[in-house]
This record gives sequence, structure tokens and C-alpha cells, in this order.
Amino acid sequence: MNTDDINLAYKIRHALNENLDALPASTTERLAAARAIALSRKQQPRKSRRFFDVDFHFSGASLGRLGVAIPLLALVVGLGGLYQYEEQQRIAELAELDAAVLADELPLTAYLDHGFNAYLESQQRQQ
Amino acid sequence: MATDKELGDFLENVERRAFKQAVYAVRKDEAALDIVQDAMIKLAEKYGDKPAAELPMLFQRILQTTILDYFRREKVRNTWVSLFSGLGRREGSDEDFDILEAYEAEEGTAAAESTMDQAERAQTLQLIEAEIQKLPARQREAFLMRYWQDMDVAETAAAMGCSEGSVKTHCSRATHALADALRAKGIQL
Repeated sequence: MNTDDINLAYKIRHALNENLDALPASTTERLAAARAIALSRKQQPRKSRRFFDVDFHFSGASLGRLGVAIPLLALVVGLGGLYQYEEQQRIAELAELDAAVLADELPLTAYLDHGFNAYLESQQRQQ
Repeated sequence: MATDKELGDFLENVERRAFKQAVYAVRKDEAALDIVQDAMIKLAEKYGDKPAAELPMLFQRILQTTILDYFRREKVRNTWVSLFSGLGRREGSDEDFDILEAYEAEEGTAAAESTMDQAERAQTLQLIEAEIQKLPARQREAFLMRYWQDMDVAETAAAMGCSEGSVKTHCSRATHALADALRAKGIQL
């Protein structure tokens, strides 16, 4: 840009600044109020905590991320634990059933006999 | 890190120009006030711990983003309004038109009551503002940041997210456009 352009730019700047003084009082008051709100919400200095010679910084954002990560981790661990427990229970039940069947006086082939099944059902009905 | 006083002084220094910048972009005083307030709060909340020297660039960046967000929201709102209330919208446009007419008439009356010089001066200032509003958005941003907010080319480039060469080009085009427009209206600064 040549000197004339720069001069024009600065003259326009001067004109714009003149207009700033003519802002209505309601606008300047609203701007001052907005500034006060902004300052009241200014980010405060980060608090650092020394722990095993490592600095941990706690800010709103990192706490927010932790707030999501911790429940998520707890959920995954909980679901894993529940699955393991259910699996163990199922194995124990099957083992118990197998043991009962093996320890029974009836031979295993009796359970394959349809007539025996019909006998058991009629016995139950009588009871 | 900027102290509370530094941040307060910076905001006080920049708030009126920021308001005008927003008005040039959105052309509504109330919306411009909301935009400036949002930008101030975002700066204080997210960048309050930055050095005072970085505040002008950060604030300008936030201001431009907030203005863009406003246009995006307006676009979405207008889509729904035009879809569901054609009649209401027509009535709204009439109201806007009336207010604008009344506003211009009031300005004329105030100017007529002043001395001739004051009236001419006020008219010139209004014309300059009108021409600045007519500039393409990027040119206007670059021009106002460089020559009104006293930011250097590098700071302006960082705030606008473009190269320093682009800033120079935008500024040059804006200045030429303003010079041509003012000359065409017979305004000599």
C-alpha cells in the first residue's frame, strides 16, 4: 500500500474513533456490565499438586474429562466382574448336576428311555 | 499471565470498537451487544491465563468466531421461520421497514437542528460507516484489525487464520474500495 492509502486508512480510523464517542449511554452501560460479568468469570491460576515428583494440573476441562472417564472405567470393570461371576456360577451348577447324575443309583441310559420319562411324569402328576 | 486489572483494562479499551465491529457485521445493535458479551466471557474463561500481549489477537479471533456463530444460528432460525410462518414473517418485515424509516427520519431531524458543519460531519461519519459495512467480510475484518485495533500484520494473520500476504491483500483492497466509494460520494477526508 502506498502512502496515500495509508493516510486514508488512518483518516478513516480517526473518523471511526469520533463515532465511538457518540455511542448511546445505554450501550456503554451494557458493555461495562458485560465486562464485569466477563471479569467475574476469569479463569483463576491453575493449582498444581506435587505427587511422586510429577505435576498434576487440575482445571475445569481435565476434571470434566475425568468425570466421564472414571464412571466409564467403573462400568467396564463392573460388567467384566459380573460376567466372570455368572460364568463361575454356571460352571458350578453344571458340575453339581453332573455329580448328582453320576452319583445317582439310576444308570445314565435310563434317562434316554421314553418309557422312564413317562413314568416320572405320571409319578409327578400323582403327587 | 494477564492480571485481573490488565484484562479489565484491555476489555475496557477494546469493548466499544468491538461493539462497532460486530454492528458492521451483523447490523443489529442488540445482537452486536450479545456477541461482544459472549466474546468477552469466552476470553476471560478460556484465555484469562494468557499473557496480556496475546489478548488482542485472541479476542479478535473469538469475536470473529462468535460473529460467524451468530450467522450460522440466524441461518438455521430463518430456515425454520420461512418453513412454518410465512404470514408472520411478512408482518415482521413490514415492522422492520417502518422502524428503519422512523430511525432515518429522527437522524435527519437531529442533524437539521445542529449547525451545518456538525450535520455534514455526522453525515460523513455515517457514510464512512455505511461503506465499511458494505465491504466483503474478510476485507472489513483485516482493515479494522490493522488500522483500528492497532494490530500488526502477523497478529491480524493469526487472528484471521490466514497468511500475512492475504492480510496485506485484504487491507489493500479494502482501502482502495473505501477510497473509490468515498470519492464517488464526493467525500474528501
